Amino acid sequence: MEELGRIHQLIIPLMGHKLTFNLEVILMTWIVIALLIVFGFLASRKKAILPGPLQVLGELFVAQLFGLTEEALGKKMGRTYAPLICSLFMFLLLSDWLGIIPHLEEPTKDLNTPLGLGLMGFFIAHYAGIKSKGFKEYAREYFQPIFFMMPLNLIGELAKVVSISFRLFGNIMGGSIIILVVSHLTYSVILPPFLNAFFGLFVGAIQAFVFTMLTLVYISVQVK
Amino acid sequence: MGFGAIGAAVGEGYTAAQANAALSRDPENAGGIFKSMLVGQAIAESASIFALVVAMILLFSDFSNGSYVTVAALFGAGLAMGFGAIGSGVGSGFPAGAACVGLARQPAISGKLTTNMLIGSAVCQTPSIFAMVTAFILLFSDFSQSPVNPTWAAVLGAGLASGLGAIGSGIGGGSVAEASSEGVARQPGALTTVTNVMLLGQAITQTPAILALLVSFILIFKSYPATGAIAPAMALLASGLCMGIGAIGPGIGEGIASSGGVRWIARNSSIAGDLTRTMLVGMAVAESTAIYSMVIALVLIFVV
Repeated sequence: MEELGRIHQLIIPLMGHKLTFNLEVILMTWIVIALLIVFGFLASRKKAILPGPLQVLGELFVAQLFGLTEEALGKKMGRTYAPLICSLFMFLLLSDWLGIIPHLEEPTKDLNTPLGLGLMGFFIAHYAGIKSKGFKEYAREYFQPIFFMMPLNLIGELAKVVSISFRLFGNIMGGSIIILVVSHLTYSVILPPFLNAFFGLFVGAIQAFVFTMLTLVYISVQVK
Repeated sequence: MGFGAIGAAVGEGYTAAQANAALSRDPENAGGIFKSMLVGQAIAESASIFALVVAMILLFSDFSNGSYVTVAALFGAGLAMGFGAIGSGVGSGFPAGAACVGLARQPAISGKLTTNMLIGSAVCQTPSIFAMVTAFILLFSDFSQSPVNPTWAAVLGAGLASGLGAIGSGIGGGSVAEASSEGVARQPGALTTVTNVMLLGQAITQTPAILALLVSFILIFKSYPATGAIAPAMALLASGLCMGIGAIGPGIGEGIASSGGVRWIARNSSIAGDLTRTMLVGMAVAESTAIYSMVIALVLIFVV
């Protein structure tokens, strides 16, 4: 129970500011990135008409997510944003599943990871909005329906970032707390594999998909 | 725990009633409906199991050296989990009931229907998981360094905010999942589209609960100067209440908007894109009251 809420941090003072690094999170993120690069390399190394198992898996990811993106954004913009959506989903899925391996932790369990990805999605969505509609049209939407609604519209936009990142963080964090506490209460007899399967694999996959879909929807709402 | 049990009981009662209705329609398939009812009830119960876990920890831990703040934190944890389990308990009953009725209509697609129901009610549990995160932080944080007077109100407010805030989102998410189970039973061909839109709708329905979680995090982790006056403490308590109660309405409302969207996409999936966009706009407007409550709650915390 003691490991609840303990974080290994590296604090470097730099010009009067303290830079704080959460070592475990960075390490786990690197592990996820390395695994994804290896997967990508193996899946596309021997491209054949009769694909191997890894190529099938890779094609499945790419085809499904390209389809979803094109449905939401249309053919032309879909091609621009599909690689982002595809890699976002694969990164989140692997991140959420990493926790079922003992001694490894989900990078998404730390609020900084989902918040960073949420901010990324936020800026990309607004960039896409300005690019497709022009700045004037984009700015006018903040003054709908009446001009004094502007502050509330702004807060509403910021609430999107908060909600998307806290949703992922709360689910993964809650799942890992439940696994830890229930395993502790039952002395790790029988239950942990089922809890890991439900909260790690099932909820993790759903939340990775939800995060990706919401990023996509935020982009498509700004563009339209 | 008590409140949590209420929600689970309502949810399970709803499932059982729907199962009976389904049985009278299609007595041949009694076994299948019965199985589906049991699975659905098991999931509806999991919210109250979370509450049970928290209650067990409260009962069996050793709090002999507790100060007033610790007592308030424990009370807040109990409130968070108890209220938080109501919504998810009621909500997960809905998809299970709809799945039973759907099974009576179309016994051939029991596999698809059960998968859809399981995904829906699993996502329904999310608000109660948020409430549980708050409860655990309240249970295991060390408040001994913080001054007694405003902190007791802050931890109680945090518990109330995330507990009450989870009610609406739980019920709303349930009605979305219900619409989706019903839709799949009507049109099994639209399974993928309906499930995707359902997940989207439920995710956005959870926004009020997430805002409530944010407010309770701020209430817990902000450091307060010691004061003898009662007004700052009451402001913190009020901000918790404001966020919690304010999140109930939008949670349910967004659930209604989104369940409408899902239901009609199942009937006419060729215009799914347009319907989804309308649904999202409607939900964004319904959500604005939750955002107003959050603004008021933050003003109460930081300004008063």
